[in-house]
Amino acid sequence: MSCKYESSFASQWCPGCGNFGTLESLKTALCNLKIEARDFVIAAGIGQAAKLGFSLECNLLAGLHGRALPLALGLKMANHKLKVLAISGDGCFYAEGGNHLLHNARRNLNVTMLASDNRVFGLTKGQAAPTAAADFVTKIHPEGAGAQPLEPTLIALSAGATFVAKAFTGNPDELTSIIEAAIEHQGFALVDILSPCISFNKTNTFAWFKKRITKINGNHDRSNLAAALSLAQFNPEEQIPTGIYYQVEKPIYGARKRALNGDPIALRTQNYQPERVKPLFANYR
Amino acid sequence: MPNSCNIVIAGAAGQGVESAVALAGKSLLKAGFQIFITADYQSRVRGGHNFMRIRFSDQPLAAAVVKIDYLLALNEESLERHLPNLTTAGMAFAMADTCANIADPRLQPIPSTIGPSAAKSETFSGIKLLARLFITLGLSPEILKKTVDKQFAKKLSPQLLQTNIDTISEITNFFTDQAVQPLPFAPVPDPQRMLVNGNDAIALGMVAAGIGVYTAYPMTPSTSVMNVLAGCGPEMGIAVEQVEDEIAALNAALGASYGGARAATGSSGAGICLMAEAIGLAGIGEIPIVIFNAQRSSPATGMATRTEQADLLFVAHVSHGDFPRLIIAPSGHSESFYLTTEAFNLADYWQIPVFILSDQALASSECSINEFDLEQVTIDRGEIAAEPQNPGMLQRYEVTESGVSPRAFPQLSKWLISCDSHEHNEIGQVSDDIANRNRQHDKRMRKLQNLAKTLPGPKIIGAPADKLLICWGSTVGPVLEAREKLKTQGQNFAVAIFEYLYPLNRELIEKTLAPFKEIHTIEGNYSGQLGKLLQMETTIRITSHIGKTDGRLFTVEDVEKNLIELVGGKP
Repeated sequence: MSCKYESSFASQWCPGCGNFGTLESLKTALCNLKIEARDFVIAAGIGQAAKLGFSLECNLLAGLHGRALPLALGLKMANHKLKVLAISGDGCFYAEGGNHLLHNARRNLNVTMLASDNRVFGLTKGQAAPTAAADFVTKIHPEGAGAQPLEPTLIALSAGATFVAKAFTGNPDELTSIIEAAIEHQGFALVDILSPCISFNKTNTFAWFKKRITKINGNHDRSNLAAALSLAQFNPEEQIPTGIYYQVEKPIYGARKRALNGDPIALRTQNYQPERVKPLFANYR
Repeated sequence: MPNSCNIVIAGAAGQGVESAVALAGKSLLKAGFQIFITADYQSRVRGGHNFMRIRFSDQPLAAAVVKIDYLLALNEESLERHLPNLTTAGMAFAMADTCANIADPRLQPIPSTIGPSAAKSETFSGIKLLARLFITLGLSPEILKKTVDKQFAKKLSPQLLQTNIDTISEITNFFTDQAVQPLPFAPVPDPQRMLVNGNDAIALGMVAAGIGVYTAYPMTPSTSVMNVLAGCGPEMGIAVEQVEDEIAALNAALGASYGGARAATGSSGAGICLMAEAIGLAGIGEIPIVIFNAQRSSPATGMATRTEQADLLFVAHVSHGDFPRLIIAPSGHSESFYLTTEAFNLADYWQIPVFILSDQALASSECSINEFDLEQVTIDRGEIAAEPQNPGMLQRYEVTESGVSPRAFPQLSKWLISCDSHEHNEIGQVSDDIANRNRQHDKRMRKLQNLAKTLPGPKIIGAPADKLLICWGSTVGPVLEAREKLKTQGQNFAVAIFEYLYPLNRELIEKTLAPFKEIHTIEGNYSGQLGKLLQMETTIRITSHIGKTDGRLFTVEDVEKNLIELVGGKP
């Protein structure tokens, strides 16, 4: 198979942007897993991180700000055999689309959510993301963002995600291996990818993250929710743990639905005929 | 004008009005009558006042009437409210303990001592009143018993089921000497005849059209479409999901459509408001989608269980920017089925969002209809791209004469497909190049122009006449019946039934409406929205508008009164 996924698209990211690291790691992960381009779809939101899909030659559904996960849900309903990657940034997934994170984690939708987390809005030039610290100063927040930062891993764990991990673009090998594990995971997989914004976040810089990133201790029990929740309650001023916090097997979205077993609906649709409705008429007599 | 009999069953929420009506409806269907049932209910689980009208005839019906022939009252308030509408020859039935304070010669109390001892509670009032009504109508109690058995066999314990059957027997025996008031029409049985509400017809249309995915958030009065699809989904290969909000509902449906399923979502006006941005995504992304809107009283929460036709201009414009869309408004129950199948074909063919605009009055009213003719239904998925030799990016937004670019489905095709919410180039990459923007924008708008030319104009009933009445949706039935009634009184109106509301086939509509001297709109809204749309898009000028904003459906009498006023008479 070709292992290139090369696109003709000219990237719109700043030189040195963390998103380049995510792109490379994703390409490597897809190659390592031998996933053909036709077998996966990227469901994207809006923002700098969400543009990643244009840089791959692949199936891409580039939707609205905040709505990558609902697109992913629909894709998995139409064709549960597709690999679906939901790719966007912290503003898209955690601000505008926060509700969808909660509910698709609850569904254990079989999707890989790659969230670029740089604690700042890049595309709109430097506003506080939901992951920004309370004292993060922006043009809109000269006195600090005020609200407590949201910890995505904690939210995902409590909402029912079955794979929760944090990675750092500064550690590409670990990032690649986590993305691979997330893609292979059957169920809702969140990878919160710490990806410094070199243009609009002068506080949480590459060096700032580098100083705090700590790989999870080898003794951590990934199948233990309490341990994962404990790990997710770190103090970012001291250290930020990277690695797989949690991974368990639970029934995925669709396990209960007869329509979502066997051949995908998209394929079966080709055989749907108007006559299929006829048996229902008896209910109305 | 059909000969008909109008029954009203009334009571508080929770007293069993709906169950009694379901039994009456199915029994009258079995007995071979044509039926039209409308519900007037409040958005509450207990208390208040609910009533339903069951009108039946030997002719097809499509409207409710106010005048009552038989009133079945489950409490005193129901008598007070509805006796004024009871005809002089009419009869009212009520349990004796609920009507001690009311003196009316038409009232026939049922002593509470009659019936099995296990059937003393208020729960059995409905079945007692129905059994009493059947005696007067001269209809066999066996039909009622069979319906009870069919409707309740799965819901009630065998003991309770028997108590209901015994109740019918005892009431029948007690009143067996009562005079029968023969109906002025005979039943016309047809074993294939069905009793459906507007939402049933739409859900069945979706199944016939080959729907694979339906995603929605519950909202009155649209929810029963989701119930029907969820009920048959496991068997039929339809995935249904109750999502977290209407934003998710449309985005998920769009994901499913891109993924290769026929997909739809549904809601009422307020839910469609939340879908606004994703409607634009369907427009620019050229993702076929069907959006069902069961309009209700507006704005915001409005009156949840009440009807209105005030969303037309909203759905004609919802979401920012110019992009093609289609609005179809079925004018009745059969039409709701056939036009739903057509909605999917047109969505796929033109790769656009298609709205099915219904309203609470149509969604919740039940109508007897001929079995849907599946010979009339075809499934047309539109243009699909030929498979390539080697995998590569599909020219998903290839610029074509018609504006339509062949599509393909991920994984099912070797093509790789990029679908984009930004302005994009032909292979779906984000682009803000001037020439590209103009090409892509023109291509999308060509679809609207080309689509408009293929759409039918209004159906005209009763020409020639000087005065034309324009109507759509649930308003059509009562307007047609009132028209016939007034014709017998020497007043001649023609009626234009619009089902394709946007885009408008301008030349055809102007030609069709040219012969009329006066054009009046009659719509369940304040501003005459179809009239406004016609005046925006064509040279048609509207003489006057008959509106209604009280949340209640147009009855035949409502329309009649309005039309008599229109010609300067006194109703």
